[in-house]
Amino acid sequence: MNKAQDYSTDGAEHHHPAAPMVEEITDFEVLEIAVRELAIERGLFTAEDHRRFTEFAESVGPAGGSRLVAKIWTDPAFKARAMENPVKACLEIGIDWSKPTGFGTPSDYTHLTILEDTPTLHHVVCCTLCSCYPRPLLGMSPEWYRTTNYRRRLVRWPRQILAEFGLILPPEVEVRVEDSNQKCRFIVLPVRPAGTENWTEKQLAEIVTRDCMIGVALPRPGRTTDVHPIQKARRPVHSSSAQCERHSHERSLQ
Amino acid sequence: MNQSKVMEQNQNNIGVLEEHSLGVKPRFKVGDRVQIRNMPYFFYTRSQMWARGVQGSIAALTYPDLVPEDEAFNVDGRVEQYYIVRFRQKDLWPGYPFDNDTIQTESPERWLEPVETK
Repeated sequence: MNKAQDYSTDGAEHHHPAAPMVEEITDFEVLEIAVRELAIERGLFTAEDHRRFTEFAESVGPAGGSRLVAKIWTDPAFKARAMENPVKACLEIGIDWSKPTGFGTPSDYTHLTILEDTPTLHHVVCCTLCSCYPRPLLGMSPEWYRTTNYRRRLVRWPRQILAEFGLILPPEVEVRVEDSNQKCRFIVLPVRPAGTENWTEKQLAEIVTRDCMIGVALPRPGRTTDVHPIQKARRPVHSSSAQCERHSHERSLQ
Repeated sequence: MNQSKVMEQNQNNIGVLEEHSLGVKPRFKVGDRVQIRNMPYFFYTRSQMWARGVQGSIAALTYPDLVPEDEAFNVDGRVEQYYIVRFRQKDLWPGYPFDNDTIQTESPERWLEPVETK
């Protein structure tokens, strides 16, 4: 008896029915589909509009943000304009916050604040509500940015989170967490690193990665991608020296 | 129709506070001491629990807009000023070990109340 016959025979001894091809979706996805279908039915937008919006949103990456930071680093007059009205300044680098609907990315707002780092001040952004993010500049947010783990712990344990990303800042540097909980979207303007003095805008843009503009990494020459090393989980705080000793003792026994 | 005015503001010249202030007179200025009220809300708010009742200071005035509690129910409510409020981490979490660290949140005016400074 071959396999094809086996599947078709109800009650056969080695009956392995094919798994149903249904993906699991969350309640929020069900809600989104319901609202979208109602909106299409009511004529608020067409299915074609929706496809266009989705494709637009998914095609935006963090390159625009990198260009914005690189231009701010190299052009003081542009920097002044950008700090005065960031959304308007984005037009100069070809990013129109009103696209594609005429009033912005669907479901998002169009206010932007640039958080300027200094040698003694470091910004890092989260959204404790959900995943508010400057999408016209950075595209869709990374998965970890949307997790409750990142969102709730950044508010309470910012330095531990940064350390998990490999960024350890001295205590005298002020770590300023920005909760993007209302309608402003935030992008971090990192300090231009040493060793980039004669670089062109294009060269600079390459080291301004997405993580640098969220504030969980610092740009430096040679660092052009956001690679997160997989680290062993450990107690982030309150790990007394006794525990640390026990850990190292256990390890030495292995 | 405040909703349409706000929409127009966002469409025309996003972020230009001076030109599109919608006649809103901000109650607070940068540096003012405030605290986030602990008010009840109905199903939806963007005023986070971690900031309720904590004293901080106004770091920036952002834009005038409708409040989320009205928007959630499609109520054409009052347009008011939004602020970025800055707190010291030490004031939020007992025993927070880094003196300089701060945290900022954004808040519409109705969620803020002035704090008496001596």
